[in-house]
Amino acid sequence: MPTRRGFYRFLSMLGGNTVAIAMAVPGVRFLLDPLTKKGQERNLLSLARLSQLQPGKPQAFSIIEEKQDAWVKYPKEPVGSVWLVRQPDGAKEKVLAFSAECPHLSCSVTLSNDRQGFQCPCHGAMFGLDGAKKNAVSPRGMDGLEVDLSDDPDPVISVRFARFQPQSAEKKSLA
Amino acid sequence: MLNNIIAWLDDRTALPTITRRFLDRPVPVNKRWGHALGFALLTTLIVDLITGLLLMTTYSPSSTMAWGSVYYITYQMDAGWFVRGLHRYASYGAVILGGLYLFRLVLVGAYRAPKEMHWWLASAVLLLILVAGVSGNVLPWDQRGYWAAIVETNMAGGTPIIGPMLKKVILGGSQAGSQTLTRFYGLHVALIPSLMLFCGWVFAMLFVFRRRADDETVLTEPYWPHQSCCDIALASLTVALICALTVATHGYSLDAPADPSSDDYPARPEWYFLPLNLLVHEMAGREYIATMVVPGVATTGLFLLPLVAKLLPRKLGSALAFLFISTLAIAALSLTGTAIYRDFESTSYRIAREKADTARDRAIQLARDGIPPEGDSYVLSRDPLHHGGKMFEKKCLGCHPFGGQVQGEPSAPDLKDFGTRTWIRGLLEKPTSDAYFGKVPILDGMKTWKESSKLSPAELDAIADFVATFATIDPEVSPADWYAAPTTKNHPGYTLFQKNCVDCHTMGDPSQAEKKTQPSPDLFGWGSPRWTSRMIKNPSRSTHYGHLEADQKMPAFADQLTENDISALVRYIRGDYTPPPPPAPVAPTSK
Ligand code: FES
Repeated sequence: MPTRRGFYRFLSMLGGNTVAIAMAVPGVRFLLDPLTKKGQERNLLSLARLSQLQPGKPQAFSIIEEKQDAWVKYPKEPVGSVWLVRQPDGAKEKVLAFSAECPHLSCSVTLSNDRQGFQCPCHGAMFGLDGAKKNAVSPRGMDGLEVDLSDDPDPVISVRFARFQPQSAEKKSLA
Repeated sequence: MLNNIIAWLDDRTALPTITRRFLDRPVPVNKRWGHALGFALLTTLIVDLITGLLLMTTYSPSSTMAWGSVYYITYQMDAGWFVRGLHRYASYGAVILGGLYLFRLVLVGAYRAPKEMHWWLASAVLLLILVAGVSGNVLPWDQRGYWAAIVETNMAGGTPIIGPMLKKVILGGSQAGSQTLTRFYGLHVALIPSLMLFCGWVFAMLFVFRRRADDETVLTEPYWPHQSCCDIALASLTVALICALTVATHGYSLDAPADPSSDDYPARPEWYFLPLNLLVHEMAGREYIATMVVPGVATTGLFLLPLVAKLLPRKLGSALAFLFISTLAIAALSLTGTAIYRDFESTSYRIAREKADTARDRAIQLARDGIPPEGDSYVLSRDPLHHGGKMFEKKCLGCHPFGGQVQGEPSAPDLKDFGTRTWIRGLLEKPTSDAYFGKVPILDGMKTWKESSKLSPAELDAIADFVATFATIDPEVSPADWYAAPTTKNHPGYTLFQKNCVDCHTMGDPSQAEKKTQPSPDLFGWGSPRWTSRMIKNPSRSTHYGHLEADQKMPAFADQLTENDISALVRYIRGDYTPPPPPAPVAPTSK
């Protein structure tokens, strides 16, 4: 038997919850906005000529590109860096490229003190010159990047930069 | 008169009565210092609230300006370093006192009925203090804050399933940037303080104003003045320690501005997260233990403790609670110790930290002249010493030594002071020295010249003086006009140069190169920013080393360096920059 009080109770609940939900929807969408944004497509970037590299001596190159950060557009500036390692003559791949972002938690990987591999200053991940992991800190080896060599006698090395999800054994691209 | 006012106020608001009742409320006499501990914790939070409001009057939550505003607070504003230091160290105080407070609650069994609420509120406040610390650490947008944010959000990103999305939402995008800072700022200055005030309000409602008569057997006395005196004593001691720490370290240090491209910054979290950071290291391959399981178990344990205690026999419950909290405490302390000791021992950490300190001191030195409107990161990225030096190390040092500093086997001239009189004078003296063309047998032109030349040192001086003026030739002036100018003609080195050098070197007209005895670089404008940047961008120009075979040439760097990189490099080589400060600047030491 519906009573007057019961009706008011129902109306108060209904009104209150409607207002709350009406406010929550735009609020949550506002907060989750970053999920709707896509990362940018990247082109091959030419970084160096083959003759600049010596086999087994990795060199770091900056990835220089324009960057849009929310409302700010930055002019061309380094957004990341890659390690190029030239392979001995006769190897199938002439040059290997690795993102300098540590697959562990994204600090920047540098050359180890003896220059015979890479290491990360944050939690001590170690990698070989082939990018393979040398201790258990990182979940996977360094992330290889697509390399393209031009047909010139002294080929131009181009690399397509990309970012991958840290902390996962599998190499998953981050959009 | 005063009494009248009070009476009136009491009549309208009852505030005086409430205050009196508050001060006279009965408090147990057997936990004076426990009570005082809570009061000291409250005091640190109030210090943080007030200093926080003060900092907000100057701080600018933008990824381009945050560092500059914190620099201004720390190094330019009256008492700025003090206020900022208090804010940081009071938060350290809150972490320690919050931990002690919980520890005491366990010791006295204050998580049991009817005190569960008390325990939960205290745990919630401690967690909020930690989150406030993490978010606050990011706000200066210096290297420390930036890299801590990266590492921490990546830890969150390791959560199963929702991790990557969670990370994106916290960062406000797929990369740390503008929205990262605004989000952490909102969290730090609005959300967390509101939640804390809410906890404080509930606490006051439950335990201060409407005190539950929980234990009637305990002797009580009015709060004022005995207990209040204990409270004030411990609180003053805490504040005194915080002030002392602030003065001793001259405020809290500010690292160099955030630089996403820096490649060896040794990221470390705030000290109270060092245990987790070390665990992350130790649990290699199973980070989730450090990032999820341990914090998860610790927080769940905190919140479930009152319920677990209900289920177990009293003795067992107390023993378990004590075991739980002391394991946490001992583990945290020993891991912190280990983490600090490891960094202390590690050479690579020391080297990386020294580099970071140099960058920091340089940034602070340059910021004194003002920060460019484009943002904080330009303070260092436009500095020839910092940025040019970094570029030189990355791009040039593999072949060119710099002031004797080498990397691997040098195969090109030492470039320190290239473009200045010092360099050219040295070259004229001994072209075959290792610092010049000694390591470049293919460039034997100067050597051949030197072998047949009989110029006296004074004459070499005059030539060097003359060549050194080339760097200052206005790029708008044509070679013919320059030659015709009296300053050129009347220069003491002019005739000697014409007699000795132009047999090989052209001066602004490379088409003449055919007629020269030996192909050599064009010297018009030698050492000027334009000449040197052309050399860096494309050494194969006809005016530079176009005459060499492909495999003898220096690589072209046009694609790999921005205009800014090149101009920083050129100025770095010439030593054209604000000299670094004399050693031991009055900067706060970093922890
Ligand atoms: S981020 Fe590289 S080891 Fe942790």
